[in-house]
Amino acid sequence: MDAGVALMLSLQAAIMGVIYASLALGFNMVYRVSKSINLAHPEIALFAAYVAYIASVRAGIGLIPAILLAAIAGFAIGAAMERLVARPLLGRPPVALIAATLGVFYVLRGASIAVAGPDWSGGSYELPATVYRLGPVALDFSDIVAVAAAGGIVALVVAMHRFTKLGIAMRAVAEDAYGAAAYGLPVKQLTMLSWGLAGASGALAGVALAAKAGVSPGLDAYVLKALAASLLAGLDSVAGIVLGGVILGFVEQFSDYLLGPILPGFGNVAAFLVMLVVLLVKPYGLFGTERIERV
Amino acid sequence: MPAGVFKETYLADMAHLRYPIHWAALVAGLALLLVLPVMLGSYGAGLAVMLMVFFVGTVGLNITTGLAGQISLAQAALMGVGAYTAAYLANAGVSILLAIPAAALAATIAGVVLGLPSFKLKGYYLAMASIAAQAVLEYVFQTIVDPYQGIEINPEAKTLAGIYLGDGAPLYYTVLAITILAVIAAANIGRSSLGRAMKAVRDNDISAEIIGIDVTRTKALAFAIGSFYAGLAGALYALASPSVGWDSFTMETSIDYLAMVLVGGPGRIIWGSLLGALTIRTGWSLLASVFAASAAVKYLVLGGVIAFFVVKEPDGLIGVLRRIKEYLRLWPFSY
Repeated sequence: MDAGVALMLSLQAAIMGVIYASLALGFNMVYRVSKSINLAHPEIALFAAYVAYIASVRAGIGLIPAILLAAIAGFAIGAAMERLVARPLLGRPPVALIAATLGVFYVLRGASIAVAGPDWSGGSYELPATVYRLGPVALDFSDIVAVAAAGGIVALVVAMHRFTKLGIAMRAVAEDAYGAAAYGLPVKQLTMLSWGLAGASGALAGVALAAKAGVSPGLDAYVLKALAASLLAGLDSVAGIVLGGVILGFVEQFSDYLLGPILPGFGNVAAFLVMLVVLLVKPYGLFGTERIERV
Repeated sequence: MPAGVFKETYLADMAHLRYPIHWAALVAGLALLLVLPVMLGSYGAGLAVMLMVFFVGTVGLNITTGLAGQISLAQAALMGVGAYTAAYLANAGVSILLAIPAAALAATIAGVVLGLPSFKLKGYYLAMASIAAQAVLEYVFQTIVDPYQGIEINPEAKTLAGIYLGDGAPLYYTVLAITILAVIAAANIGRSSLGRAMKAVRDNDISAEIIGIDVTRTKALAFAIGSFYAGLAGALYALASPSVGWDSFTMETSIDYLAMVLVGGPGRIIWGSLLGALTIRTGWSLLASVFAASAAVKYLVLGGVIAFFVVKEPDGLIGVLRRIKEYLRLWPFSY
């Protein structure tokens, strides 16, 4: 592998890594407050990508308002899921919530098809097709938009968690709901807000992903792969997600390049092998807290 | 109505068939199952065979999810392992009656190897490991096992003593016999010490550990048994179809399996699985044929049904039926 190829692959890996990090953020935010995995998260991203596509390209309201619309839709879906699915299941084992989010997975998939209409094979956001070159490296304009948007989401959420009063309150609820309630924090509202923000971040990340990969029904597969980044970082870590995403991006790009000639499309399955290895070696991830619940 | 039902011997307590009405129902049910292909014709018998195939797979998932409380999203891929093993063995000249148990064992091994990372961890980690397992197995099917989507199965391997088992009434009776054996075995697993250990792990794994249950072993066994039934279902699928292709073993089929367990009645291995398989499969075909529903409507309906049952009816249709029965028993009084 010569240096130019390695550089190009590294750049693509870093871009995909940041996008994976932004996609995985929603899994971790939900896990922190509800101790369960939101399997409907891939479809929130897919639905939002379609909403933004239809609003901007088919209805022509411009890309920025369309993205705002998608974020609002994501927030509404997340908050509604908390109210209708997660809250009634409080106190039941986490497995019940996983199964219920799987139902929402199908509902949102159906909604995406319904919104997109019969020809839901999709398209692109029609960004300008400028290509920037620097030596051996070439970058599309859409790559830059995607990585900027995804990085912005991650930075925003991490900064909010760390520096704002609201973020600190949300962390308190995630840490110890009873303790937070004893200090007078509105636990239910904060949990709902966490789910809503997870949905909104998933929606924005979905739009960023679609800017790079195109709008298509297969977008949710990327989000499922991002679960590996989430697990790698540790399910209850927020800032660690960037490293998890970038590691996943590198593993995917390089394994695909090296093994692709023998096993076509290996990159698509690399993420899931990473997931199995992480579960085997370090199930709480690189930055997650290791709770004593191993049985 | 007596004040209670009293059992005086251990045998009476453990009996599957306790009252004369059970014996009558058994005889009537078996007779009905035996004459069913005559009543339904070949098309109806084919539908019944596919229903039994999915019933066997659902029974397996009901042991993993319903009894042991471990969500698995790899049931379809493990069914694929069974189907491809049976197909390859049949094409290599092995008789199908040998290929079926071999296929079930292959699926068990695949399931245990892929589930290995998660057995020591809490419930939802098996869900993640099984998502990964489903994706990895699908990839293996698509690139290595079955790159041209569709493996024809040699019809000669399905012939036993001059009778072709892959079609019509012989197929129906073969599948029926295997299904009945598998279901009796599953019912007894559910009542054995292993089944009770699984229920203890499902309800509270820490307490289960404290009373001396080996939680890791119980989870591994639950997943292995579920995989065995998935492989058996796959082998029966291979017996019933002229060819197998990987599009039958996708993640969506796995979600359908989970829906069958959740809608039918998790933990109710036989009747819950049967009701679930019946409801989801007829539901799909009704939506497709009678209402001519688009894909969007199908997803919306199935997703809504899954979420509704998990949130509002955790005991599934079996729980609903039990409430109806209780209401009728007490009618016209409310208690």
